[in-house]
Amino acid sequence: MAKYIAKRLVYMVFVFFIMSILMFGIYKMVPGDPARLLLEGSKAGMKPEVYEMQYQQARERLGLDKPIPVQYAVWITNMLKGDFGYSSNYRKDVIDVVAQPLSNTMQLNLVAIVVVFAITIPLGIICAVKKRSTFDNVVQVFSVVGYSLPTFIIALVLICLLAVKAPIFPVSGVNSVGFTGSALAKAFDKLWHMALPVLVMVLGSIGSITRYVRAAMIESLSMDYIRTARAKGVRERAVIYSHAFRNALLPIVTIVTGWIMSVFSGSVIIENIFLWPGIGKILFDGLMQQDFMVVLAMQMFYVIIALLGNLIMDIAYCMVDPRVKLD
Amino acid sequence: MSKENKAKKSRVSILGLLFGNRKKQLSFLEEEQLQSPMRTVIKNFVANKVAMVSLIIFLIIFLSVLIYPAVNHIDLTYQEQTQQNVAPGFNMMKVPKKLQGNIKEISVGSTFSVGVSNDGEVFVWGKTKITSVIDVKDIPENMGKVVQVAAGADHVLALNDQGELFAWGNSRNKQCAIPENLKTVKNIKRIYSGFQCSAAVTEDGNVYFWGNTGIIDFKIGEYQGQIDKIAINSQGVLGLTKDGQVVSLTANELAFSRIPEEMGKAVDIALTAQTGAAVTEDGKVYVWGNKTKTIHEGETLEGVVSIEGGRYHYTAMLANGDVVAWGHDDFGQSSVPSKVNKANVTTVYTGYYQNYAITDSGKAITWGLKGYILGTDNYGRDVLSRIMHGGRMTMTIGAIAIIISVTIGIIIGGVSGYFGGKVDMILMRIAEIVYALPFLPFAMTLSAIIGNKINETQRIALIMVILGLLSWPGDARLVRAQVLAERNKEFVTAARAVGVRQKGIIFRHIIPNVVSVIIVSATLGFASAMLTESGLSFLGFGVREPRPTWGNMLNGCQSSTVILQYWWRWVFPSIALGLSTISINLIGDGLRDAVDPKANER
Repeated sequence: MAKYIAKRLVYMVFVFFIMSILMFGIYKMVPGDPARLLLEGSKAGMKPEVYEMQYQQARERLGLDKPIPVQYAVWITNMLKGDFGYSSNYRKDVIDVVAQPLSNTMQLNLVAIVVVFAITIPLGIICAVKKRSTFDNVVQVFSVVGYSLPTFIIALVLICLLAVKAPIFPVSGVNSVGFTGSALAKAFDKLWHMALPVLVMVLGSIGSITRYVRAAMIESLSMDYIRTARAKGVRERAVIYSHAFRNALLPIVTIVTGWIMSVFSGSVIIENIFLWPGIGKILFDGLMQQDFMVVLAMQMFYVIIALLGNLIMDIAYCMVDPRVKLD
Repeated sequence: MSKENKAKKSRVSILGLLFGNRKKQLSFLEEEQLQSPMRTVIKNFVANKVAMVSLIIFLIIFLSVLIYPAVNHIDLTYQEQTQQNVAPGFNMMKVPKKLQGNIKEISVGSTFSVGVSNDGEVFVWGKTKITSVIDVKDIPENMGKVVQVAAGADHVLALNDQGELFAWGNSRNKQCAIPENLKTVKNIKRIYSGFQCSAAVTEDGNVYFWGNTGIIDFKIGEYQGQIDKIAINSQGVLGLTKDGQVVSLTANELAFSRIPEEMGKAVDIALTAQTGAAVTEDGKVYVWGNKTKTIHEGETLEGVVSIEGGRYHYTAMLANGDVVAWGHDDFGQSSVPSKVNKANVTTVYTGYYQNYAITDSGKAITWGLKGYILGTDNYGRDVLSRIMHGGRMTMTIGAIAIIISVTIGIIIGGVSGYFGGKVDMILMRIAEIVYALPFLPFAMTLSAIIGNKINETQRIALIMVILGLLSWPGDARLVRAQVLAERNKEFVTAARAVGVRQKGIIFRHIIPNVVSVIIVSATLGFASAMLTESGLSFLGFGVREPRPTWGNMLNGCQSSTVILQYWWRWVFPSIALGLSTISINLIGDGLRDAVDPKANER
């Protein structure tokens, strides 16, 4: 196990460097000169020779006067030291720009994940146990609808029903404007603002995850050991929850880890519609404002998350199913 | 044979014709022996009701988005400010029954019309809702006997037999605020409403103008006191003096303010959006301004008595009572129905895209724009046409993206599965990374960075490639697993023994055996490619305006005004997109069950 993880880590470092070269290459394809962009604001009041001097200084400061491989080396060293660059839009270090939105995104997604799994796992199990019943068929139909509809359509419908026609939930923001009250009241206010985005996320992912759980459960319910368990008189509840479900966990873990990885990437569409100041919104704004240092840092962050996610998935396999051997 | 059996048999044979089943029904055992696997798959699929219904729905959508754009071309630059956010429906020219046969006068507004009966009662019909609170259908009470009405883009003027003036509708630009000095004037001859402005001409030749002076810079100068009639459009005002001279009544130069000099004495004038026209004493028509191919056709006419202008067309009455129309015909506004010239027409009222010909019995014959089946968007573009063209775009992008991804998937999966070992390890690690990358953020970044430098067609190609390049790992894994299962079977060993090259073994012997699985995965992938494209376009990183796709049609629809008041702008594209993806997914599920009936048991 330890050997496997070590091997994986070496491989991850390797992939990380390849991806970073790729990302840096894409970043270098960006049209426009960051040094000129930096001076854009103060250009008007400057004499041409002063501007030229400042421009050269800015180029030097940003390291643009060096050849591209050197630029890459400088950039990657800074990245590894924890310096992710400087955001031209926010005029702050990228790390400061990203910190708060990341926490916002994680809060939103954690609530959504808890709700989704609280619903989908029991639902999937019930559907698998009552396979081909009316209940199962109805859930199947809704799950197809759920995963076929894009999130923005679900969001529009929900905004229409729950925010415009019947103004129950707020459409945007994290907290009410000028909210004052105790910390607890503030937390509730935040949850109230989360309601619509979370509902959209839940409706959008409930369909596919229920299907996965159902398929995994049906698979393991058809195994011989289930028949054995039933034959020796184990209670049906125990058969389902301790014999069948534990064996169905393996495919479920795959989805769970995949999903948890997406917690960090956030949902660009949902955060945009509901103006939730999360990481997806930052990426969107960064791309819109041509603030590519932020985008670059975020993409590298995604790569790390993706690599870690794969590793965690493998380890999780071992933990839920001792039969899985890693080598 | 019972009736039921007969019906069953005929149904089977129709489906058989459609899907190439054998005419002769075989017993189960015969079938097993004789039917090719593909035929079994089709048979299983046809038996699946849900999948078949979905297939039919999808085919209907697919054929519509294929045929409609081929027949009706889209003008991407088209915008029409007078037709913004028009609700769905066809009642724009539905003259009320009570008015029919008793018409004194009709005035045409942008999306509605106003009529007054011989008894002085006012009627409004068409798309009368201007905003959530303003409806031009709310006619003021106690107007007395109305003798004249004038409908503008979003407001109405009325004049009663006492010479009193009334205005209602949208008054944001003060177009309903009747000037104080006009309230005492009792000799109003004619009232006019235009785009956010109103005007009145008195018997003694004075013109009063009010409303949005930011759009129309009204300036009458020396002609005050000489004007007989005027014509208003969304940019300017033309006047006709009592001695037959046509003059521009705006301070600024417009396309139609340079009036031809050699015209002679004019008797009637009219305006379209970009041109002016006049009828002279000797019955000839002159048109000037930004003339298009069709708009000056009227210059060949003779014996013209009067002329009326729409948004992009003219109608004229001839001395012999005939009505002719020319100009743009995109809503049939220049196609005068034959029954107009059979009837005894006394007057023609034209405005925007609608025409009313009034017969001597007081009835109206109409032609032109009835309405939009699915409404219009915020630029006045027909939602139906955009859904159809957008659907073609969305489906094309989805299809090509999936072809790219399946091709890469087959190659990588095939090679990886067949060779195994190091090649497999490397390829699958790459697949793993691509698979783990957050799809939408990466696609957005690539589209934003590369897409800035290229034109729109290249952008669309780029989006297809991005979608294809980011979605192959699923297919590759699937193919690899199938190849792994197939590669040790006898026929592969046989092929190898005969000396078939490795490339041939993978792509000619193994891949055909996994093709059904690939088709299923491609079908499901098609739906998700469409969804991703829509998501990208919705965010503004896919296909951009004015080129429609189902995604970017929904862009800008999340404000509560649009959601509630202009519901047709988001409901119809959503239905089109949702119905397509749901039906494709159901077809995919059906195909999977048909290919692998055991999957159904699971």
